[in-house]
Amino acid sequence: MAAGRPGAASRNPVLVAAVTARARRAARMTAGRPAVVWGLVAGRAAAAGRRASVADVCTVAVGCAQVSGAWVTVSGGRRPDFVMSVTGPVSEQLAELQLTLGEGPCHDVLATAAPVLAADLGDEDSGRRWPGFAASAGLLGAGAVFAFPLSVGAIRAGAIGLYRASPGPLPRASLGDALILADAATLLLLDGLRHDGDGAAAAAGGPAVDGQSPDLALHRAEIDQATGMLTMQLGTGIAEAFARLRAYAYTSDRRLADVARDIVARRLRLHRDPGGNGGP
Amino acid sequence: MDADLLSDTFVALADTMVDDFDVIDFLHMLTDRSARLLSVSAAGVVLADPRGQLRVAAASSDEAGLIELFQIQNDQGPCLDCFRTGQPVTAAGLDGPGQRWPRFAAAATLAGFGAVNALPMRLRDQVIGALNLFSAGTAPLGPSELRIGQALADVATIGLLQERNVRRAETLAEQLQMALNSRVVIEQAKGRLAERTGLDMNQAFTLLRDHARNTNQRLTDVARHVIDSPTADLPPRPRG
Repeated sequence: MAAGRPGAASRNPVLVAAVTARARRAARMTAGRPAVVWGLVAGRAAAAGRRASVADVCTVAVGCAQVSGAWVTVSGGRRPDFVMSVTGPVSEQLAELQLTLGEGPCHDVLATAAPVLAADLGDEDSGRRWPGFAASAGLLGAGAVFAFPLSVGAIRAGAIGLYRASPGPLPRASLGDALILADAATLLLLDGLRHDGDGAAAAAGGPAVDGQSPDLALHRAEIDQATGMLTMQLGTGIAEAFARLRAYAYTSDRRLADVARDIVARRLRLHRDPGGNGGP
Repeated sequence: MDADLLSDTFVALADTMVDDFDVIDFLHMLTDRSARLLSVSAAGVVLADPRGQLRVAAASSDEAGLIELFQIQNDQGPCLDCFRTGQPVTAAGLDGPGQRWPRFAAAATLAGFGAVNALPMRLRDQVIGALNLFSAGTAPLGPSELRIGQALADVATIGLLQERNVRRAETLAEQLQMALNSRVVIEQAKGRLAERTGLDMNQAFTLLRDHARNTNQRLTDVARHVIDSPTADLPPRPRG
């Protein structure tokens, strides 16, 4: 049940090369770990000749965070709705188990918009929080589960979960990588929702991870303020406004932060119904 | 130093830390109070995101020059050095020659600041962020101001932890991310409200915060309501 629908355009070697070049340029412009981690995701997808997906994020997460498996569940609200991607059978069962039981770390991260780091599923704290999940997860061979919201402020796209067979804390470097990968998965999901079934729009809007520098990690208040302003200008919800902001930056080949600054300074307005195809 | 203002500040901060208080509202109040108490032009709380970035959690002003100063400090500046060393760092006479952080000094001068003090927010052996104090003049803060500034930085740390007894390193990481996400929610709501009303970002924030206080709601909950409401309305006072 891996994600990613490789379309004709994404198999186009010219497009893949352009996207890869753009990813390299983004990595050069933005020093630091986020660019490295995003490069791993984009590189994996480019090597396979397709666009990056949350499946790539899950696979990279297993290596970066040195865990046994990963999964992504998608949500439109405060509860996970369905499983989008898994790295193996145990991850799949852990993800499905939470949906079935209606409890677990991925539920909690959606409710609170904060990570849940359960370093030992056998401890008293985990047993009290998730009596059903903690016991069953232990039987499946999970010693620790780390879950992260796929969210940008009020935007909620789902959750990414990691499990490790042995209990123990997630080292700080792994925590950082997991947060960066959660950002990547968030953008991929938001773009997927916006462009679902519309290959041309997907190409115009730009692949989330292949094409753009990791501006989410280099967060500026102006990006969030501009997103809020666009909800009124475009008459859309917050997730759609954010997708439109990023698509505008991508298609005009400008940095997200610079576009956001122009919107906040009221030098730039975006308008409804960009393509005349029935509105945003 | 005004002794009445000093005691009034700490009483006000303690009063805010009731059950289920809003951490961004609290940190914003702390930056406002710090600026007034220490007679500096602006103050900001910066937190260390495990992604490898310093991120602003609250600042006493939304002025673009100030925001830019925080951004630059991901590369260089007193705040970054303070975070790396866990020690207070002073940058004074920022308009002069031979600057230790040339890019930072130039941006600070442009924004109208002549001196900056960065004070560490420490939890045991870990530095979780810094309180930054920006002065219009070129002189750094004196020893008594620095002592009070450090006390304010310590109060900011306590406020961020919320739970009285953070036993696990995991809890700290969780609280930090929750605070950073709350800040994003509030910025998104400010933008939506500013666009609807024509207010600037500072005024939009004041509107949100005053409404939260007057109706006894958490700032982040008020912000979420503004984002979810089809017409960007402020939420009514909860019943009961």
